Amino acid sequence: MDATDHSRSAGRRVLGSLGYRTLRAAAVSFWVMVIAFGLIRLAPGDPVLARLGAEAEPAAIERLRRQLRLDVDPVTQFVEYFLALLKGDLGVSIENGRRVSDIIATSLPVTLWVIAVTVVLGLCMAVPLAAWVATARHSSVPYIFRAVTSVFLAIPAFFTALIALIVLGVHYGVAPIIGYKPDFPENLYYVWLPALVICTHLVPVLSRVLYSSIKETMAEEFVETGVVRGVGRLRFYWYYLLRPSLAPSIVLLSYMVGVMVGATVIIETIFSLPGIGRALVGAVIGRDYPVVQGCVLLFGLAVVAINLVGDVLASWLDPRLELR
Amino acid sequence: MSGAPLPVPAPALVDVSGLRIGIRQGSREPLRVVDRADFQIGRGEIVGLVGESGSGKSMVCRSLIGTLPRRGAFIMSGRIEFAGHDLASIDERAWRDIRGKKIGYITQSALAGLNPVMTIEAQLREAIDQDLSANAESSAARAKGLLDVVRIRRPEVVLRQFPHQLSGGMRQRVIIASAIAPRPQLLVADEPTTGLDVTVQAEIMKLLRTIQADMGLSILLVSHDLALIDDVCEKVVVMHAGACIETAGVEQLAKPKHPYTAALQRSRIELAAPGQELVTIVGRPPAVGSWQAGCRFADRCDMARSDCRQGDHPPLRPIGQGRSSACLHWDRLP
Ligand SMILES: Nc1ncnc2c1ncn2[C@@H]1O[C@H](COP(=O)(O)OP(=O)(O)O)[C@@H](O)[C@H]1O
Ligand SMILES: [Mg+2]
Repeated sequence: MDATDHSRSAGRRVLGSLGYRTLRAAAVSFWVMVIAFGLIRLAPGDPVLARLGAEAEPAAIERLRRQLRLDVDPVTQFVEYFLALLKGDLGVSIENGRRVSDIIATSLPVTLWVIAVTVVLGLCMAVPLAAWVATARHSSVPYIFRAVTSVFLAIPAFFTALIALIVLGVHYGVAPIIGYKPDFPENLYYVWLPALVICTHLVPVLSRVLYSSIKETMAEEFVETGVVRGVGRLRFYWYYLLRPSLAPSIVLLSYMVGVMVGATVIIETIFSLPGIGRALVGAVIGRDYPVVQGCVLLFGLAVVAINLVGDVLASWLDPRLELR
Repeated sequence: MSGAPLPVPAPALVDVSGLRIGIRQGSREPLRVVDRADFQIGRGEIVGLVGESGSGKSMVCRSLIGTLPRRGAFIMSGRIEFAGHDLASIDERAWRDIRGKKIGYITQSALAGLNPVMTIEAQLREAIDQDLSANAESSAARAKGLLDVVRIRRPEVVLRQFPHQLSGGMRQRVIIASAIAPRPQLLVADEPTTGLDVTVQAEIMKLLRTIQADMGLSILLVSHDLALIDDVCEKVVVMHAGACIETAGVEQLAKPKHPYTAALQRSRIELAAPGQELVTIVGRPPAVGSWQAGCRFADRCDMARSDCRQGDHPPLRPIGQGRSSACLHWDRLP
């Protein structure tokens, strides 16, 4: 086989697969939107009543209903919503009249900061930990590692969050109890503790997966070649142990981040962070259809995008994985 | 006193004697996996090391490149003389000047022997940087030159590729190129053609032969298959259950002086007959940790007598014509 053709066609494959993935992401997002649209309407309750109160005049209710175009049939509502969406219009909140895009623009960064800090913190802890346990000379280290990570996994995150808040926030005063400032780097002061709490679950899972990948890598023959060549310590850790082992952990991390986007709602509630999770919960309670739809659609897009980033990163780390 | 003085034999490049290798097992006695390896490798010589899998060949190889500790193994006793050092007792700092630089290593499997996340060029450069006598020639030019040496066509393309984009035979050529890059005196090749097609195996063997002749290095060539290496080697060392049981010139092996070697030869001839059931040697090699007293081949040997089952494993003894056998009754073989 000709080698040049090979690398050229590999390049084409990557581009082709990116195109394919974008299409797939669009399809997933569409269905997420349909489901969000349908589910919130299936739930009992009425956004107009939620806003005006049960004692409101029937005429006022009728007026608002017409104004919000909730009086037409659901299919027409959906078509109108979809057409607006194509023009980039996510609609307006029923509860307070704010544009949904504004609500997302203020609450999404909070959540993204929590997740970004969590991921960085988690990688900074999980990667060295896994590498250290995998290369530890003493045979008891992996046992202790497994035991300690099991304990962490067995403690519910919301419980850890409450304890951390009481101890670090109230008692020692090293973390804020409430509030958020949107500017970097002050915002880090508000997100470090929530991120650390999520890490109590993220790090055990991630480091365990990485630990077993590194163990597998260490048994491979090319590692012996590296030892024989006497490559430098750092180089050896990165090119011979970590990089060939990281791909599965990165893929896992991207899925977990996807889950976290949804799960941050608990953490955001406990730490009173004005993130998108809380925005969604408030909107569901108020049956604020446009806000619910916008948030869920965004969650879907975020998960799809993060998985894509994870896969691209994994195939960069390990060229054996070609994008599919 | 009469007659011409005996020719002083040139000292061998490698002289392994009484080598024992154990694996640490916590507080228990170490598990012996090699017990009495004795052989020499002359300068410019290709020596074959054969034996069934599990006989300790890879452990012997690792003792020559100082990577036993990675597997929890260590040298219990014995000497490995190499260019004025005793490799059995030098420390890690001394190893760093020998491992990879004076003794190159070719991994067991061509498919797993290259780093999957580095390009061929990056890996070759890493190897070239090991060359202590590096001259003005740039490492990029040398990387290309090395691929020429191992007969890879269009090296400039291959250099940019990753291992998974190459065929098994190409990968093994790259591994050989990187092993010879620092111009070692000895090349340890542990079953270098595992997993390759038969025709590719033959090509790799021919390549090793050519490189040996051009560079004048010595090669320890490990295989579980006698047929594969007897075109290439001058001398063969046969291992069984952790011990070297026969060493002989490759032509001399036609008349084995140890029943295990004889059995290896027979299984090879019968293997060649088409349409027949695979003939292997009777019984299985004794598992490490449960070696019996005396000769460890006795239970599989139809020549065994009561004295074969007593005392230590019989040592390898010279039996004339430059060959040695560990069989107490070698003279009963034809
Ligand atoms: N980590 C280990 N623990 C226990 N036994 C081992 C270990 N590594 C190798 N062995 C044993 O040591 C013996 C020699 O192994 P090896 O040198 O790899 O044999 P070969 O290369 O001839 O196939 C084998 O019987 C193998 O089972
Ligand atoms: Mg082996």
